[in-house]
Amino acid sequence: MKKRTMRSTRVLLVAALAFAASCGSNAKTESAPKPAEATTPATGAGTPATDAPDTQATTAPEATNGPDATTAGASEPGAAITLAANPWTGSAVNAWVAKIVLEANLGTKTTVLDIDENATWPGLAAGDIDAALEVWPSGHAADYDTYITGEKSIVDIGLLGPDAKIGWYIPTGMLADHPELATWEGFKDPATAKLFATTESGDLGQFLMGDPSYVSYDEQIIANLKLPLKFLVAGSEAALISAIQTADTDGTPLLLQFWKPHWLQLEVDLTEVTLPEVTAECAASAAAGDGKYACDYPVDALYKVASAKLATKNPAAFKFLSTMKLTTEQQSEIAGLVDRDGVDVKDAAQQWVDDNQAIVQGWLK
Amino acid sequence: MAVATWRDLQGRVANPRLQRLLGPGLVIAVIVAFGLVVLGDPVPTWFDAHVKPFFDDINDWIVHNNARNWLFTRFFSPIGDSLTWCVNGVLWMLRNLRWPGVIALATLIGARTGGLRAAIAGVFCLAACGMLGFWDETMVTLALMLVAVIIAVLIGVPLGIWAGVSDRANNRLRAILDATQVLPTFVYLLPAVVIFGIKEPSAVVVTVIFAVAPAVRLTTLGIRNVAVVATEVGESFGCTPRQLLTKVRLPMARRTILLGMNQVIMMAFGVVVLASLVGVAGLGGAVLKGLQKNNVGKAAAAGLAIVFLAIALDRVTTGERRAAHRRRPIAVAMERLRRRLGGHSWAVPAVAAMSVIAVAVIAHLLNLVDFPTRPRLDIVKPVNDATKWMKDNIRKDVPIIGGTQAISDFVVVNLLNPLRDLLTIPAWWIIVLLMGVVGWVSAGWKLGLICGSCFAAIGSLRVWDLAMDTLSQVLLAVLLSILIAAPLGLWAGRSNWVNAGLRPLLDAAQVLPQFVYLVPVVVLFAVGRFGGVFASVIYAVPPGIRLISLGLREVPFAPREAAMSFGATPRQELVKVQIPLALKSILLGINQVIMMVLAVVVISGLIGGGGLGLETVYGLTKGEVGRGVAGGLAIVFLAIVLDRVTQAWGTAGRSRLPAAQVLVGVG
Repeated sequence: MKKRTMRSTRVLLVAALAFAASCGSNAKTESAPKPAEATTPATGAGTPATDAPDTQATTAPEATNGPDATTAGASEPGAAITLAANPWTGSAVNAWVAKIVLEANLGTKTTVLDIDENATWPGLAAGDIDAALEVWPSGHAADYDTYITGEKSIVDIGLLGPDAKIGWYIPTGMLADHPELATWEGFKDPATAKLFATTESGDLGQFLMGDPSYVSYDEQIIANLKLPLKFLVAGSEAALISAIQTADTDGTPLLLQFWKPHWLQLEVDLTEVTLPEVTAECAASAAAGDGKYACDYPVDALYKVASAKLATKNPAAFKFLSTMKLTTEQQSEIAGLVDRDGVDVKDAAQQWVDDNQAIVQGWLK
Repeated sequence: MAVATWRDLQGRVANPRLQRLLGPGLVIAVIVAFGLVVLGDPVPTWFDAHVKPFFDDINDWIVHNNARNWLFTRFFSPIGDSLTWCVNGVLWMLRNLRWPGVIALATLIGARTGGLRAAIAGVFCLAACGMLGFWDETMVTLALMLVAVIIAVLIGVPLGIWAGVSDRANNRLRAILDATQVLPTFVYLLPAVVIFGIKEPSAVVVTVIFAVAPAVRLTTLGIRNVAVVATEVGESFGCTPRQLLTKVRLPMARRTILLGMNQVIMMAFGVVVLASLVGVAGLGGAVLKGLQKNNVGKAAAAGLAIVFLAIALDRVTTGERRAAHRRRPIAVAMERLRRRLGGHSWAVPAVAAMSVIAVAVIAHLLNLVDFPTRPRLDIVKPVNDATKWMKDNIRKDVPIIGGTQAISDFVVVNLLNPLRDLLTIPAWWIIVLLMGVVGWVSAGWKLGLICGSCFAAIGSLRVWDLAMDTLSQVLLAVLLSILIAAPLGLWAGRSNWVNAGLRPLLDAAQVLPQFVYLVPVVVLFAVGRFGGVFASVIYAVPPGIRLISLGLREVPFAPREAAMSFGATPRQELVKVQIPLALKSILLGINQVIMMVLAVVVISGLIGGGGLGLETVYGLTKGEVGRGVAGGLAIVFLAIVLDRVTQAWGTAGRSRLPAAQVLVGVG
């Protein structure tokens, strides 16, 4: 009896080892072609990326040469691709619209992958993700330098269309009693600023910022404009939204960094505070990171990025993703269905694609 | 010459107690002089370990080389690929078993390991996941967790055995284990993505790092606790050391090792949400999706499914130690079946596997793809209603206490601010010195040196003020947790009913992703430090309750009986006999409370608590890896100091109660 149990455990062990070994050998065969893959795009698709955002026009035509050269082999539906959907509605909308068109019109099997925006970049560089269709430039200057201009493992494939804007916001209701708060000068008076005081800010007014990964010049703006405010990081977008909703129900003052487009802007009435206009000095200060920033946030022209490997892996998809564009109105039309009416993003995107075939065909030319 | 003067000086102090203080006193005086003259306040710029630039450089190197260097192409990426393959293989199997097959499998494994009770618990919990509407997400998470838990056990148990037989290994591993438990996962999530790739590989790696510690610790504990008598008997019968290990120690340590597995499962499920940040959706993704829209109900439903899945996995895999006495009828039935099948040891498993496959085949034939939509367990609306009710009713304008926001304001102004001032206003080296003294008083000069150097190291990480801010929050959270855990633990230790009733609640508090209560906490207490303190209290109370109640239960009956026969009232018996005898284990409970509070410091950063927690979040999200590492290391140093000091209090005098060492133990 005893012996038998021993043997059975041994059998189990051997089985486990075999399992592990099969995992290993499988991996080897999979990883073998990797180095080869890695070298080709570096020479092929790397070139257009060097001159960065303005040269998208050249990127697209160059990509068109791809399919022509390889039509013989790649006339069949291209390799399956993965699109990143970062955790906000706009990003999911773009990805789903692209997926629907890619599958229906190009026969490219497409996966939409929900993933954090910061984990997206290493994924794109490795080729595990093929494209991300909504990058906010303000938050990813360092990634742009590292991966697009430096490593050339990711390529900039042009603007998406919509512009986004970060700024300072207060509840619109506050303007009735304090019209001076419409511009930043209204916050110079310590008594007015104290309206925004909390136990965390003491005698100063509290300025709230959400997720620390988002770009923020607020500390510098407060210091350089000498405003009696204290900068506090809520730590996450969820905490920020909670704070906004609480302030909205209570009618309490709140000064925060927020942005458009955002689904909450449809529900809560917020007004953007006018900050000093963006100057050349501010742009230089932002680039140098010298802490002298004292202007409004620049407009964020949202752009698209793709893995450098995509141009060879599926040239047709690469070309389509480079050409695809949405206007602010088109994107918010779909996002509105999702955020306001609770429609599932894939149904909302499908409906929009069905209703707007003319636009879709334009992308495919 | 110097020696002579020293003797001379000692000789002049008559009082022997003063004599003993002379040495340390002199050391302190020298440090004070050094501090006044050289160090000053704030931490001088030259006192810098350059940790941030160092780790930023490493990260840069990895980013620039991971497509070329052989280390990545030949080593890390094959590991990553095989992890992907394993997780997808398990998921493929689970999906093809269809839901009836999975439930059948859980029933059979549960029946084998823990008897009827475990089987029922497993089935009920799995069905609950389906009824909440998350069957497929549950399978994704289950596949990931199975692989991660198996790997953690495969790594942890051998390491634990090694530490069990070698003191040197034990000492070395302990610091590493402290670090893996306390270092916020945010710190190494992004590097893991760069090294191993997105999705399954980095998710598994991060989960394994976080969850491996209990497997090592409890295996070590189990082996070390095997009675000397047993090993001596083995030796006298001529066992080789190897036989002694495999035939005596390991079998006798089996129950503790199983307990370790239980804790691995609980810890692994605690970080399920992180997997969704790197692209493995599953239940964690559902939690985050709810959170994105501030839909607490949705996040809570997914969170509850995580709790159910964790409990199902726990009861089914480690049920044995609890329900051993209830196993009989099933064991007998199995034995009968085995005999009828010709007595082969593989007969029963083979029959079981075949019946699972049969169920799966039937499910395929009946085309049962999705989990039935009815009955449905809908908690989205009740939870949202409850949140709204809290928002409308207990936040403010409550008579007398003023509401949760007033409480939060009060605590911030009257407790947190003074405590923080106390730690930040004195020059930093005074605090370093004080910590050295605390360590020295607790367990001698060695500990004093450790405490002092850890705090000095925090200074050299350039995060002194943030660390003191965090320390003030941690101290308050620990105090509140103890105030809650002590009475509940005592009560649970005296009453079986309370103990049994609390257990699922404690499981839930340990496993429910903290992200789920992030929004309600902000709603109740507004953005700020108190919210962070509150969230860490929820997480830290369970191990405290468990260890205190375990300690009371472990007090032998004889002294209690003796006290009662001398006419002690139940109260006297509790206060004068049971509590003093359980003191060591109670102190260990406090120690675990501290570790847990530190382990979730990062959550406080996500609610507006600032400090080191926020610093580590920066590390994840801005790609400023170095900054995150510096913040994370500071948390580790705080943990080491608080851990060693409280353990010194707990172990002063005699050795620890073995079972109390069971760490986050299960009650």
